[in-house]
Amino acid sequence: MKLLTKTSLNFISASVIFFLVGSMAMYFSVRNIIAKDLQNRLLQQQNEFIYTAQQNKVTDLVSELVFIQTTEKKRLHSFSDTVLIVNEKYILYRKLVFSYAQNEQDYKVSILLSQSESDKLIMKIAIMNIGFAMLFFLIMFFVNRRSVRNALTVFYSTIRKLEDFEVNQITTLSLDTAEIEEVKKLNEVFEKMSAQIRQDFISQKEYTGNISHELQTPLAIISSKADELMQADNLSKEQMEQLALLLETTNRLSKINQALIFLTKIDNRFYTEGSTFAINDLLKEKLTMFGELIADKNIVLKLDVLDTTHVYMDKYLADTLLVNLIKNSLVHNKQGGELIVELASNRLSISNSGNPLTFAESDIFKRFTRSEHNKKSLGIGLSVVQSICELYGFDLQYSYDGMHNFIIKF
Amino acid sequence: MLKKHNILVVEDELELAKSTLAYLTENGFSPFHAKDLKSARKLLKQENFSAVLLDLGLPDGDGMALIKEIKNAKNEIGLIIVSAKDALDKKIEGLELGADDYLTKPYFFPELNARLKSVIRRLNLEVNQEIILNEITLLPEQMRTLIHGEELELTAKEFGLLLYFVSNQNRVISKTTLGEFMSSNYADYGFTDDVVYTHIKNLKKKLSTSNADDYIKNVYGVGYKFTVA
Repeated sequence: MKLLTKTSLNFISASVIFFLVGSMAMYFSVRNIIAKDLQNRLLQQQNEFIYTAQQNKVTDLVSELVFIQTTEKKRLHSFSDTVLIVNEKYILYRKLVFSYAQNEQDYKVSILLSQSESDKLIMKIAIMNIGFAMLFFLIMFFVNRRSVRNALTVFYSTIRKLEDFEVNQITTLSLDTAEIEEVKKLNEVFEKMSAQIRQDFISQKEYTGNISHELQTPLAIISSKADELMQADNLSKEQMEQLALLLETTNRLSKINQALIFLTKIDNRFYTEGSTFAINDLLKEKLTMFGELIADKNIVLKLDVLDTTHVYMDKYLADTLLVNLIKNSLVHNKQGGELIVELASNRLSISNSGNPLTFAESDIFKRFTRSEHNKKSLGIGLSVVQSICELYGFDLQYSYDGMHNFIIKF
Repeated sequence: MLKKHNILVVEDELELAKSTLAYLTENGFSPFHAKDLKSARKLLKQENFSAVLLDLGLPDGDGMALIKEIKNAKNEIGLIIVSAKDALDKKIEGLELGADDYLTKPYFFPELNARLKSVIRRLNLEVNQEIILNEITLLPEQMRTLIHGEELELTAKEFGLLLYFVSNQNRVISKTTLGEFMSSNYADYGFTDDVVYTHIKNLKKKLSTSNADDYIKNVYGVGYKFTVA
């Protein structure tokens, strides 16, 4: 629910409740006031009656709304409501009954006063009241809405900017200056936070860069020295083997280092820029590149590119993705095996006829998972594939049905 | 090699510089060493270089700064960036600034040698330059091989391999080094020995059917040596 909707709803529900309660209270108090007024008028009429009765005979004073009866009781004085049927209409009257004595005869005098006029008045007041209140609330509602919206302009702009914020962009997060203290504070916190995140990101970037540099240089020295030593003329077979192993291991270490740095870079979203391109050509190019390797292993390549598939990716990562997948399917393939590559409607599938896995199927994309059949493999290539797919939100699946199938849905 | 090419090695890691210099001298180059930007600038004024090996992380600044200076002064100087940072953006930036090649540490000397020679060849417009070794004649720009004056059909990989061996004569080149060289185009992590083996086997077979000498010798099963008497 939007903040504006929420505040509007709160305003409306509160208004309705207060309006109902207020109207009711007002209705009753107006009724009370008018009833009092009616009573006062009746008392005034009583006074007038008594005054007139001093000069006239009581019984002559009977009129449409003044009833006189003889009575035994004295000291009568009460107000009540009564209904008269006039022209077949029920009309509510307020009645004042009191006793009046003349010539030693007690009379019960009832004076009636129509309430219909005052009822109409109450009705009119009520309608006016409702009308004004409604108008008032309507105006208040829109004024409130507009003012809240105005006050939150900066807030909304902050949300938009935060949505677009990416840690590896060059521009820093600069939020609008707000008049409202809370929004101002919020923006300050966000700006501080984004600066901190960016700082961390940069340090991490530097850290991976440094690690890479600090490890690669000594490795370069080791391998250059080993290579130099290998050139000596008087080396025995064992010594030569040991040096070769040293060189190989150093190389392996360096590759692992590079691969891990690369993975870290992908996971930390160093590669976010990209372009939309048809992956068809790149796929063909990579398969051509592996042509010799395919021929070496006498692998039968079945290539089936049905549709032009456009993807949004960093070209370098697209390259790496395809190379790793194809290479994996070749290195782990059997001599004279099969490689089936299909590209159709945003779906790439690469299948190979390699030996069954020697580890759990769910571990296939995990780092350093290696097949028993190929211990020299670093076990990182498929992790790289997975990281790249995750980065772009591609669906990557593996299945085995006699063939190892890797399926990417772009 | 008729002319000794002057090579400037800009490298702050002394041990690595020492090995590189020894290796380059051994391979008929005349190398100079600069340990920072300042001494590199000085040497560049004094000597006439064919190529510069430039490390990016130097004590007194980023080697990137030197790329433009070198290329503006004399475009024919081959410039190979050598860096431990395998950062793609650095690579692209360097190449855009005018560097001719990029090597990531750790690299293998034979690889460096091959790349240096290739860069020098390219920049000196030695388009029709022939590399002649006894009965073998290589035309690198056209990727042609002549044995006893007869054309020999080689695949791109085999030609690369032969050129690599010819550039690194009489050196033991381990399988790892060869594997790295062969897989460099694959942007790859770890390459298999049998691929190296297959290509060398094919190359040797083709050379022997053309009656070339058997130059490529296996060294204890751990590497190969292109032996020229």
